[in-house]
Amino acid sequence: MIDWAAFFVVAAASLLGACAVVVLFALGVRNAARRPWLARTCWVLCGAAVLFGIYLIVPALHA
Amino acid sequence: MELSLVVVLVIGLALFFDFTNGFHDTANAMATPIATGALKPKLAVALAAVLNLVGAFLSTEVAKTISGGLIREGDGGVLITPEMIFAGLIGAIVWNMITWLLGLPSSSSHALFGGLIGAAVVGVGFHAIDAGVLLSKIVLPAFFAPVIAGVIAFIATKLAYRVAGRGSLEGYKRGQIFTSSLVALAHGTNDAQKTMGVITLTLIATGAQAAGTGPEFWVIATCALAIALGTYTGGWRIIRTLGTGITQVTPPQGFAAEASTTATILASSHLGFALSTTQVASGSVIGSGLGRDRKAVRWRVAGRIAMAWLITLPASACVAGLAELVARMGTIGIVLDALAGVGLILTMYLISRRNAVGHENVNLRPVPVSPVPEANIVEEAR
Repeated sequence: MIDWAAFFVVAAASLLGACAVVVLFALGVRNAARRPWLARTCWVLCGAAVLFGIYLIVPALHA
Repeated sequence: MELSLVVVLVIGLALFFDFTNGFHDTANAMATPIATGALKPKLAVALAAVLNLVGAFLSTEVAKTISGGLIREGDGGVLITPEMIFAGLIGAIVWNMITWLLGLPSSSSHALFGGLIGAAVVGVGFHAIDAGVLLSKIVLPAFFAPVIAGVIAFIATKLAYRVAGRGSLEGYKRGQIFTSSLVALAHGTNDAQKTMGVITLTLIATGAQAAGTGPEFWVIATCALAIALGTYTGGWRIIRTLGTGITQVTPPQGFAAEASTTATILASSHLGFALSTTQVASGSVIGSGLGRDRKAVRWRVAGRIAMAWLITLPASACVAGLAELVARMGTIGIVLDALAGVGLILTMYLISRRNAVGHENVNLRPVPVSPVPEANIVEEAR
């Protein structure tokens, strides 16, 4: 009745996605003062994650 | 095209439901950025409103059934009359207003499904309901959603503090703007569609629109406007609960919570396991509170919210069932229902004015520090 496979896929994908973005962003915050280039790289990657989010939300982009 | 009284009322109620859906769910996206000061309250709700408006236009592929399979409608199933939809909407709206008055984030979709179920049970009988779908699509996910989101937000918050330490909080505020905007956009694409579906299927059922056609432009536009307007009105009572009531949200925690909410919602809508946005967002806030400090979560508030989730579906089903009983009296019954609904909504609005929560005091939390009422103070949240 419960689609456990889908459930675990959703849980794993959410965990990976959220943790990846949070760790990247936190690395950016940590290195903002001392290694600005690294911080900027991290934030650009976070920006890419946001764009991927928009791609997923807008049906016209992935349909 | 000629529309009967009940169809006109269904459209009006559906749009009002859309409006309540908007202000009920502003908190999902904007409670944490408002609580941390990442966005000024008015700017936050305006941003959420615009994103909901845009989202509603982006995705207009309406569902094929009003209830998503919960009710055995369609060919060979039971006939859902406009009266039942009307009664169901009254149940959903009344329950949304009650939970808003109490400041409880409860799922608007569950209220809508509950209302339709209640009306269908009274109108047709228990065989109208597919209990298996009810359990696998509503009841069990309601347990999983907050747990998944809570665990993820807990881990994400721990990671944020581990990686970046407890200083340098300002950077996270900018990040919060993006994550919460994604939640608002996703909300617009999902929730406005439900109302479009209800209106379109009603029009088709009464022969005002050809079967198998999508929503007409005026339906899309009015639904988009209704949800955006509702979002802009800003359900401040619920924002307060989610932003400062469950736990005082800090910027890293808010960022981690919104990232978890976004990731969980996007994964659930694309990998085939539907979860309620409201329950995901609330679970994220609780999880991130625990991730920062185990004692930071007010379990009494969390318990009240859980209780509201448990009774949302049966409660709106009861109201809708009652409305359906009255509606079966014919036109007079419909009119009585409509008057009673308007009366209840107005009453709740007037009660809310007694301790109004708005953009100016959303981050102030009344804290009972003493059982003596006079000794209770208002604490500045940040």
